[in-house]
This record gives sequence, structure tokens and C-alpha cells, in this order.
Amino acid sequence: MSEDRKRILGMLAEGKITADEADLLLDSLDSPADAGEPATEPSPSADWPTGPSASGTPKFMYVKVTGKDTVDVKVPLALLRAGLKLTSLIPPQAMDQISESMGEHGMSIDLNNLKPEDIEEVIASLREMEVNVQSADGDHVRVFCA
Amino acid sequence: MTAYLPPLVIDVRVRESGARGFRIWLPFVLLWPLIFIIVGFTLLVTALVDLALLASGARYHHYTLLVLGTIRLLAEIRGTHVNAVSDNSRVKVDIY
Repeated sequence: MSEDRKRILGMLAEGKITADEADLLLDSLDSPADAGEPATEPSPSADWPTGPSASGTPKFMYVKVTGKDTVDVKVPLALLRAGLKLTSLIPPQAMDQISESMGEHGMSIDLNNLKPEDIEEVIASLREMEVNVQSADGDHVRVFCA
Repeated sequence: MTAYLPPLVIDVRVRESGARGFRIWLPFVLLWPLIFIIVGFTLLVTALVDLALLASGARYHHYTLLVLGTIRLLAEIRGTHVNAVSDNSRVKVDIY
């Protein structure tokens, strides 16, 4: 039994902490990455790339939000590719309804014009894409592929 | 063929300051046999529909490809990671 574990159980025996608190502390010992308060934890995505890859085909799309809250999202570009390819297989009647609905919501994109050869071009050009948004309250949003 | 395999595991972790967090480890792989049965039956039906549509001269006869594309979309979700940390909580979702 480790020293930390003994100390936690000792504090429980002495009544300094409750059983729930002891359980939480023991859980933290079991998973060092999850230990401590959430706000002070280092981001587990620290090893993710910090910007677009200079060469090669990008594999993932990254969305990083820093500021008051931190959000890291990593999405495989293969998902985007599969989604775009799926749009070309949607029945025409359904596609017309989708386009109409998107138009009503301010997105006048005709997905019927999206051809399979365009999809690869879109994916390839994502390598050079980087979106940087800095809000007035200090939040910073970055979107890039690497 | 591996490109068409659905996620193996979905791991969801939620922690909040002052409260005990929880972790849900969803072994999606256990649902694979059920998914394969449903998908197999669906593909059989869509293949018959597509053949009927093709025979009748309909322009659109890609329902089988549409189902395969949907499965592909589900499969490609593997590798998605989401991590959100606020002042008093943290949510982490990993799809393998």
C-alpha cells in the first residue's frame, strides 16, 4: 500500500474527511491524469499539434478554444470525407428539401453541386486552412487541420 | 473492410469540483453482432429495392450505397476526442 493511500485512509479513520471524499482521493490516486481539481489540470490534449501541418496530408481537424473555459476537439478528417460523400448519395427529393431548409436558415448552398472529385479537393485544401478568432472577452478559437 | 467497422469503445468522463465525477465506458463492440444482423437485413432489403428501381428505369437507385455510406460515417467517428474544461467541471469524451 502506498504512503498516499495510507495517509488518506488515516484521515478517514480520524474523521478528518468523509468516506465520499476519501473515495474521490483514492480514485485520483488510481488515475494520476485525473487527479486534482478540474480547473488546475493540464490539458490532456497538450501533445496535440499547435498549428496546421506544413506538409503531408492532414488527418484530423482540431478545434481549440482557450480563455475562461478550455475546449479541445479532435475530429478525423475521414469523418468529413465520409459525410461529404454521403451527401452525393442522398435521394434527389430529400436533397431538394435539405437545400430548401438550409436556404431558409441563411445557408444557400446547393449540395447537388458537390461532386465526388470536389470532395478530395476540399479535403486537400483544408491543409492550408487556419481559422483564428479572438473575442473581446479574451476567448481564443482556433480551427486547423494537421 | 476495417473502414466499415463501428467504434469499439466510447469513454465518457465527467468531473465536477466538490462532487464525485463519473466515468462511463461503453463497450460498443458488444453491440456489433446486433448491428451486423440489422445492417445485413437492411442491405438485403435495399439491394432488392435498388434492383426493382433499376428495372423500372428510375434514375435514383443507390439506397444500398446510402446505407453503406451511413455505416462508413459511423465507422469514421473513431478517433474523435472532445475535452472541455471549465472553472468547476471537466468533460472528456474519447471514441475508439
